[in-house]
Amino acid sequence: MNNKNICRVGFMSLIAAAALTSCSEEQQFVDYNNQAKKVDVQVLDQAHPELATVRDYVPLYAVIAHRGSTYWAPEETEASWRWARDMGADYLESDLQCTKDGVVLSLHDDNLKRTTNIQSTFSDQIPATRKDFYRTLTWSDGTPCNFSEADIEAAYQAELTDYYSYYPRNYYYAELLMLDAGKWFNEDNIEQARPEYEATNNALQETLASFQQGKGIVYSNGLYISALADQIAYAQGKMLNRDAQGRRILPYYVKDEYRGKSFSEIYAASAKVTHDVEGAQYGHQGRYHDFIEYDFSKAYKADPQDSGNRPGIYIEFKESWAQPKNMEARVYNELDKWGWNVCTKKCDGQPFYANGKVNVGNTNGKVILQTFSFDSVERVWNVFKGRVPMCYLLWTDYPSDYATDLTYDTPTGVADFIKYMQDKGCHIIGPAISGAPNNYPEMNCPWQAYMVRKSGMINHPYSFDSQAQITKYMGLWVNIWGENPTEFDDLMRITIPATNYSEGGCWDIYMDGCFTNRTEMNLTYMIDHGMRCNSKLPNPFHAGQTFDNSQAPHEVPDANALLEKLGYKK
Amino acid sequence: MKKHIILSIFAAAALCASAQDFDTKPCCGLENKAEMVKFTIGGRFMADAAWYHNDFTPMQSGATIADARIRTSASYKDYYFYADFGFGGGKFAQKNIFLQWAHQNEVGNTHAVKVGYYNDPAGSMAKITSLGSYHFISRAGSANSLGDGRALGVSYKFNNANWQAYQGIFSENQYNKIEAGFNGITVAGRWLYRPIVDENQTLHVGLHAALTHLGGGVEKTTKGSTVLQKNYTIAQTMETYVDEDTQFLGCTLPWANNVIKLGAEALYHNDKFFARGEYLHKTITKSRDTYKIFIAAQDNIDGWGDVVSWETANPLATNNFDGGYVEAGYLLWSKDGKAAYKYDSDNGTLKGLNAQALEVVGRVNVTNLNQINEGDYYSAGRDQYYPGGYMQDWPYSSTSVGGGRVVSATVGLNYSLNRFAQIMLDYTYSNLDRDKYPYDKNFHSVQGRVQFIF
Repeated sequence: MNNKNICRVGFMSLIAAAALTSCSEEQQFVDYNNQAKKVDVQVLDQAHPELATVRDYVPLYAVIAHRGSTYWAPEETEASWRWARDMGADYLESDLQCTKDGVVLSLHDDNLKRTTNIQSTFSDQIPATRKDFYRTLTWSDGTPCNFSEADIEAAYQAELTDYYSYYPRNYYYAELLMLDAGKWFNEDNIEQARPEYEATNNALQETLASFQQGKGIVYSNGLYISALADQIAYAQGKMLNRDAQGRRILPYYVKDEYRGKSFSEIYAASAKVTHDVEGAQYGHQGRYHDFIEYDFSKAYKADPQDSGNRPGIYIEFKESWAQPKNMEARVYNELDKWGWNVCTKKCDGQPFYANGKVNVGNTNGKVILQTFSFDSVERVWNVFKGRVPMCYLLWTDYPSDYATDLTYDTPTGVADFIKYMQDKGCHIIGPAISGAPNNYPEMNCPWQAYMVRKSGMINHPYSFDSQAQITKYMGLWVNIWGENPTEFDDLMRITIPATNYSEGGCWDIYMDGCFTNRTEMNLTYMIDHGMRCNSKLPNPFHAGQTFDNSQAPHEVPDANALLEKLGYKK
Repeated sequence: MKKHIILSIFAAAALCASAQDFDTKPCCGLENKAEMVKFTIGGRFMADAAWYHNDFTPMQSGATIADARIRTSASYKDYYFYADFGFGGGKFAQKNIFLQWAHQNEVGNTHAVKVGYYNDPAGSMAKITSLGSYHFISRAGSANSLGDGRALGVSYKFNNANWQAYQGIFSENQYNKIEAGFNGITVAGRWLYRPIVDENQTLHVGLHAALTHLGGGVEKTTKGSTVLQKNYTIAQTMETYVDEDTQFLGCTLPWANNVIKLGAEALYHNDKFFARGEYLHKTITKSRDTYKIFIAAQDNIDGWGDVVSWETANPLATNNFDGGYVEAGYLLWSKDGKAAYKYDSDNGTLKGLNAQALEVVGRVNVTNLNQINEGDYYSAGRDQYYPGGYMQDWPYSSTSVGGGRVVSATVGLNYSLNRFAQIMLDYTYSNLDRDKYPYDKNFHSVQGRVQFIF
């Protein structure tokens, strides 16, 4: 070959190189849709058939009232949960935390600043009422404990070294009942504000006056930071029992098992958790002192406005580092105490809906657990052993990375989480969805919903706030070309037969239930599109079988009118 | 007589002081014999095309200008200056630039001192071998990941027919990429013994070793406290230049402090056959300012109680990685029998094809960048190892490193038109074992190259 030919070969090579390089630009796009179909997703029914049985405790297309509602009423309070119950939600959703005296709270934020008036009540210091609280403690029969000043001072000094402002674990439940959990809502949501959401008394001043008389804490008379027990009561058609001044009736006293002990001895002894959950032992819990008993015997009364709906509860284990290490065991025991632990008390044979009412709260699916926390997943698995429906919630914030994020929200990453969560007793995946006002990351694209469906797990996205979101994930998703994606029709396309309230249709439905702040909107859409009040819904978890929710309420109350009816006037 | 011929060959090679990225003489030269000055200029061009097929994560098939380079040299008496610059991928890059003094004594021993920017002696035999003469489109993956490239330094080389001792002091090979700290320091050496040396065949066996103290890193400031974090990255491509992504095989090791590299090598060739191979091992030790970092970590309500508990939760571990390859080639055809495999005695490497010829080559490579602790749980969704065996919100840091393990096999066919131009075709199968890519096991690539060297 002469030099001329060498040059020709070189020139042609350059042209070929340029052409092929331009092709390679196209390949930079990683096709998640394609990958989602290729990855090996673990199937719950095959890997853990016993978990698939528990999965079926959960009704299809469940409407989960997120914190009761964040839109219509102060979240996770009596008002929001009574409203959600009577609206017809299937579940009342909440977040679990723990007080200093071990009361399991239904409370979202890890601190109390946003949703209470704690800053104006206690400031950022240890409550100034704390010593008087100790001084006025009584036994169950009302006799004063009369702890010594030295003992009280010693406990107080210890608390000073271990005190973090505003975190619920630093306050006794009785102290938290002095707070107003509704006033902030009126200030932040002018359009939805209602006078009845706010307390009318000054609990701090009244408490100080009470201490002068040797009596204990005086509660606020508005909406409270809720206990899990309260939430269960609302789900059962009850409301708070209040005295003539509007304060809830909830006496407290030192547990009788500590009689004869000094305060220092009680303080030390109560730090050791003694609960056993089916053989599981839990160690020393220095920050939590379970020596106070709250008498819930007269805490609730029948709600005259009860609609008859009996929703379940959908409770979230929060940041593990901010809760007792035995939080899951505490909740297990708390559920047991109120007859809501299906590990110990089954409700076989009960329908999800009966006579036009929600009846989920009387079924084996009455409680669903949820968490973002890996620690909680492990501990829930150890305590509940997969016998209660459990949801793992997905979040991602790439490239910044929180400890429990699904950092790689890719088909590989999703498949990995699905497998891990199934192996740890989870039945449900809860992905974040995009859209105003929260603008969460989108984790429920068609390919993601497809993978969850393929895995046999339930898909409960969070949280719906708008009609746009509802239509998007319940059949009208459009891709960037404005068309319905069809790649996943094999699993996602659902043909819904007509009902008395809808014409039915055929849609790709990217959820099996939803967390919502707008229960009324979700219910209305689902009834209008045949997803509720339908006796022949195709069951996506059992091919060829149907799911019957024809007995669900077919009328959705007016949200404002319902609040008025419940006593929250504009 | 034979001995004298061999000595003459070595003497000529040593004084020529060929550059490591080229072992061919440039076409263009200017020589003033009266002044004993000689200038050369030359170049190299490599165009690659590749097609990939793998199980899951796509690689980018296509084409690229793998290398485009200009080289210059000047020599005067025992002095030799060399520089070459790359333009591959449209980016200018300085390659080699050095000055060498070399002198051969009357018994054939050559002493050379070299200063500048060039491959350190322990970089690996593959790295020291010019890519244009390599007989494969890409160097072995283990050499790319565990070998080292060019660095600024000074070295002394002793070379004769049977022995080579080549050692020097170098900076890190970062070359001005360091954000903070200094360039570190490397002491490196390569020692070869040639039990067989004649006109038609050579056998060399050798060892190389290097100790690097890393000096450069990034400054991390937390709550007004600044620490220098030195990271060390080991990575390789899937033995290709078209998709140079190192995502499938690699790791970055924070708080690296010292790197100890050991290697063994062997090379044999005769006129029609060559075989060579290397084993490479790297140990990376770690160090950090624990107390400063501990203090800076006290930024939340559940801060660490004491430095001991923090250190327990954030352990450092020494890492060990290794790899190696075996390559062989056979000359299928040579026009008029002119082509033959030749040995570059100065560099201790095999030369490229020197005439019109057709050869078949094969290679097996193993690279292991996995060092995973027994009992750790790996989450692909987080690309994180959990030392407790299950996922935790705030687990102790795992010392596991899942950089990946690959076994690859390559067969190739190379046709040289003459000593300047060559067409190459390689097929490579790679089997990957990396937790991060559970669905990527099998990789196939077909690569072609056209290269000119002048």
